[in-house]
Amino acid sequence: MNIAVCVKHAVDEAELRADSSGKPQLQGALAKMASFDRNAIEEALRQKEAVTGTVTVIGLGGADQKKTLKEALAMGCDRAVAIAAATNRELDALSTAYFLSRGVQRAGQVDLVFLAEGASDTYHGLVGPMLAAWLDLPFVGYARKLAIEGGKLKAEVSLDERTEAVETSLPAVVSVVSEINTPRYPTLLQIMQASKKPMEEVPLESLEDQRAPSESVRVMGTKMVPTNRKKVIYEGPAEETARKLVDALKTEGMV
Amino acid sequence: MTGAGALSPTESEKHLIRSGGSAARLLALNLFRDEHRRTLDTIYGARDAEAYASLLGAFAATLDERVAPESKRFDAEAGGIATSRRAMFEQGLCAMPFDSNGGLSLPFGVYCLAMELAGAADASTAMSVGIHNTVAEGIFRFGSDAQRSSVFEDLIKGRRLASFSLTEPSSGSDASNMSTLATREGSGYTINGTKTFITNAGEADLYLVFAKTGDGHSAFIVERDNAGISFGPDIPKLGMKGSRTAEVRLQDCRVSADSLVGAEGRALEYVKAMLNASRIVMGSICVGIALTAYTQAVRYSTQRELFHQRLSDSPVTREKIADMRTSITAARLSCMHASRLKDLGRDFASEAAQAKLLSTEMAVEVCDRAIQMFGGYGYTDSDVHRHWRDARLLTIGEGASEVLRGLIAARELSAFR
Repeated sequence: MNIAVCVKHAVDEAELRADSSGKPQLQGALAKMASFDRNAIEEALRQKEAVTGTVTVIGLGGADQKKTLKEALAMGCDRAVAIAAATNRELDALSTAYFLSRGVQRAGQVDLVFLAEGASDTYHGLVGPMLAAWLDLPFVGYARKLAIEGGKLKAEVSLDERTEAVETSLPAVVSVVSEINTPRYPTLLQIMQASKKPMEEVPLESLEDQRAPSESVRVMGTKMVPTNRKKVIYEGPAEETARKLVDALKTEGMV
Repeated sequence: MTGAGALSPTESEKHLIRSGGSAARLLALNLFRDEHRRTLDTIYGARDAEAYASLLGAFAATLDERVAPESKRFDAEAGGIATSRRAMFEQGLCAMPFDSNGGLSLPFGVYCLAMELAGAADASTAMSVGIHNTVAEGIFRFGSDAQRSSVFEDLIKGRRLASFSLTEPSSGSDASNMSTLATREGSGYTINGTKTFITNAGEADLYLVFAKTGDGHSAFIVERDNAGISFGPDIPKLGMKGSRTAEVRLQDCRVSADSLVGAEGRALEYVKAMLNASRIVMGSICVGIALTAYTQAVRYSTQRELFHQRLSDSPVTREKIADMRTSITAARLSCMHASRLKDLGRDFASEAAQAKLLSTEMAVEVCDRAIQMFGGYGYTDSDVHRHWRDARLLTIGEGASEVLRGLIAARELSAFR
């Protein structure tokens, strides 16, 4: 089974800081593989290991993205395609999906394309379905469980208030949620071996053709959303405060 | 304790005190990345430094997720490090410094920086793993081919846990004075004696036991399920509470001749060689402990307000920060220098002793200052005194400071005679 996984070298949301005016300091911010991408890679590896085949990891970004692609190779992907974009080039979801689709085509005939439900920094969740549209393949979004049976893909997908069971033919594009699996940690040996695995660099300009969409979205600005915590403290004997806490959590709809 | 309202910590400060600085820990591990790259750069050159730093970065990320969040609990519950030890084993930490039989052929200095990270994430686990790997080092260097391809490979892959059984109730630093006796009987040996303060005792699958044989001393591999070996209860400790420490009791313990490591009568030579390497590792663990306490204290100082200014704005605090930082850097470089000499095949006994002496005493001092920076909270409900308690052990174990000073001075004086 040949599988492609699309990953993003994203701003580390846990380390993001705002300046005094509340604007996030994106310049020089720490970046890492987008959190849920590890679930997408894990699922691709599990599906491959259940039979045989290859997993190609595809990234689109600046030179820094090689760190994320190497991490994917260390986890067990067989080869990487790095679509190299100039660091100052901002791509909207439609263009990102287009160039990733061209990257997927470089992986050869694929049976499955995996990606995360959304990137952990921007979390638009748009690239998955758009990628499927560019590749003209069926799309299964928010998969939390999946199996390949009789040449078909059967998936359980997480929607807001319910879970749906869906089935589709292969090849298909699948976006996964983090509940689908627990990603593996690469060992030091795997990390060392990853540098010997093939990584193809493709300049983004070489993929631009008549079908490439023009930029339709322009980012006007980015702001941090302030989170106001309630900071409630219950004082008294443990049993009493525990009961108060549980009641409060129930009132908030947390449990 | 401060009583005046103006001097009481705010809610967020209280949170910082009680949280044990889990966020600070993450910050600590992030801080390491650039520091390690810069240190590696000066020793191994930019290209290798980049590769080593990315390995260490990946290792740090695993520790951040799988080990560091549990560290406070290990101390409170005095145990439970098996899963964090497994995480380090699975990553391949123990295979790093060995160049065959499944080793990763990485420089000893890179292994020491990994042990520094391990020490920063959880000192008890790091010490347990470090001592385990001292046994691996001994079997790798002095063991038979058969021991290398079976026992050694099991150890560096973490399939079995080892324990270094040297100290006795009446012989610690003076190992030659041990009373455990191994007598040759038929095709094997019978061992009798008691070892104490043994890390991993009872949990380990195999024990490298040192005993007197004739005029000399010998080392034996004794399996946990061997008849005649038993273990005392866990010995309560001031720090390093996550790791298990107990007696190893040997009563008519029969082992085969294949259990002998190296040549009969030469074990004290092996002990010295093993401890030389281990001392650098213990020094590195202390650098990690110190950096964790330092990071927590500095972070606290930037948030705690006192006399209408941040603690970190006070010149007295700044002096502490500068001194702590400088001594941490010096200790790390001392460990790296001894590591490099080891890799180059030079004599490094004195440098290893210096690295351990400097790093362990530095860690106690830095952790002590960190407690001071937290004030009354440092002595009570913060987590920062744990690091002091952990570091304190390592000025005693694996070569007490007094023994190390004696060794260093003897080497120095010999040049003047």
